[in-house]
Amino acid sequence: MEMLVLSHVEKHFGEKQVLKDVTFSVPEHSVFGFAGQNGAGKTTAMKMVLGLLPAGGGEIFVNGMQVRYGNTPTNRFVGYLPDVPEFYSYMTPAEYLCFCGEIAGMPAKEIKNRCEELLCLVGLEKEHHRIKGFSRGMKQRLGVAQALFSRPKLIICDEPTSALDPAGRKELLDVLVSSKEQATVLFSTHILSDVERICDEIAVLHEGKIVLQGALEEVRKERKAAATELETERAEDAGKLLSAFPFLKAQGRGRLLLEETERLPEILHFLADADMPMLRIERREATLEDLYMEVVGK
Amino acid sequence: MKAFLKKEWMEWSRTGRLLILLLVFALFGIMNPALAKFTPWLMETMSDSLSDTGLVVTKTTVDAMDSWIQFYKNIPMALTVFVLICSGGFTLEYEKGTLIPVVTKGLPRRKIVASKALFLFGFWTVFYFLCAGITYGYNAYFWDNRVAENLIFAMACTWLFGVWVIALLVFFSVAAKNSPQVLLGTGGAATGVYLLGMFPKLAPVLPAKLMEGLPLLQGGTGREDYYASMAAAGGLSILCMVLAMVCFDWKRL
Repeated sequence: MEMLVLSHVEKHFGEKQVLKDVTFSVPEHSVFGFAGQNGAGKTTAMKMVLGLLPAGGGEIFVNGMQVRYGNTPTNRFVGYLPDVPEFYSYMTPAEYLCFCGEIAGMPAKEIKNRCEELLCLVGLEKEHHRIKGFSRGMKQRLGVAQALFSRPKLIICDEPTSALDPAGRKELLDVLVSSKEQATVLFSTHILSDVERICDEIAVLHEGKIVLQGALEEVRKERKAAATELETERAEDAGKLLSAFPFLKAQGRGRLLLEETERLPEILHFLADADMPMLRIERREATLEDLYMEVVGK
Repeated sequence: MKAFLKKEWMEWSRTGRLLILLLVFALFGIMNPALAKFTPWLMETMSDSLSDTGLVVTKTTVDAMDSWIQFYKNIPMALTVFVLICSGGFTLEYEKGTLIPVVTKGLPRRKIVASKALFLFGFWTVFYFLCAGITYGYNAYFWDNRVAENLIFAMACTWLFGVWVIALLVFFSVAAKNSPQVLLGTGGAATGVYLLGMFPKLAPVLPAKLMEGLPLLQGGTGREDYYASMAAAGGLSILCMVLAMVCFDWKRL
């Protein structure tokens, strides 16, 4: 079953069209990476899923129910972590989480247990003072706890790792992966290594349009073919190779890149005939960054 | 809604808003009889300098009415302080984005408006009657409140005027994006109604008439002269609240 469906979604801000015919779906119990440059329209799309912005066209469904702008009943399935989470500074983290539980209508005993559990999970169990003095990283951790608090079916995170240090980032990604058993995770990011690390599926948004989407492995296979890296023992041999095969790309001292991998046998014949010593001939798999650069045209 | 009411209580009590307003209204409550009480002494101490200018001060007597006159001078100021301090109640939440997690957890938007409005109306009622109660208590101690006619009715009229101003505050808090806009809207609407009161035909039906409590206390006018303005204030307050609820459903947070 699809937990989230966006169908032909459009959005304008005045004259500017921010989202153009955005269509994708997020399967249940998956981690879905929503990648794109800053200003691509990721936050706008997420806010529309949450009913915080009206859609200019198209339909959005969460757990089979259509999202309405304003008071959308679909929000009871959702846990949301904004890019810059802000809380009531006069509350302590435990008070804020209890407040979240009460809003979600959870029983008092479960609120207490869940509060202790989640504060431990995000490492804030010893923070008994008010949120007022929290750093952005601490607020991000508390944001994760509040997003997970009511055990939502869909967790939406807007660039959740951008304010965290490497250790915090790893911990957060681990939390998101472990949430997959009970929930579906949609997270936006421009950190592609995070997508590679935890996502099952990906959609890349560029200038308001989905330019790449699908299961991570399939996307890799379908898109750009793997390249081959060549490294000559003598630096001058790289020049000879480059003049014989102009389609090669120079990558630095003695190093060349072959993107048209079907032409490798020709090069191997040339190397054998010229008796040219090689340090390395290595097939390189296309990285997500390569794919991303290809689809955004850079 | 109980959870949001609890949060509002924390906000009022922990941010100091409650304490500041409590002190302001208590101070105004004490000032009204105090100023009346000190008037004879003030006049006496100033009599020498006044006699130099040719003014002769005779014996000054004061009673509870002088204290109520002070009350009617001071209560608009207290209401202004209340509006100033509470003008950011909604807009600070929009600016910081603190309502987004609340709304995305499924709390109906109308409950947010209802909770905030309940606290505003509730605390206006508490503080207003605290101020009036302190004045009444001192008046009873020093003089006799029986010189004031229609006292409870006059108090209720002024309270209702405050309710109308707070309903405006709630409406503009929903419609506006920041605190200065809220103050401009609320102040502008209240001033506009005062200016309309310059037309003799309109004056008896405008909420502004509710602040003219002294003629009631002095027995110069009857209660029936205020019924139209009470109905107008009540009706406009309900209209403001309905508009606020509807607008908040469409508010971009």
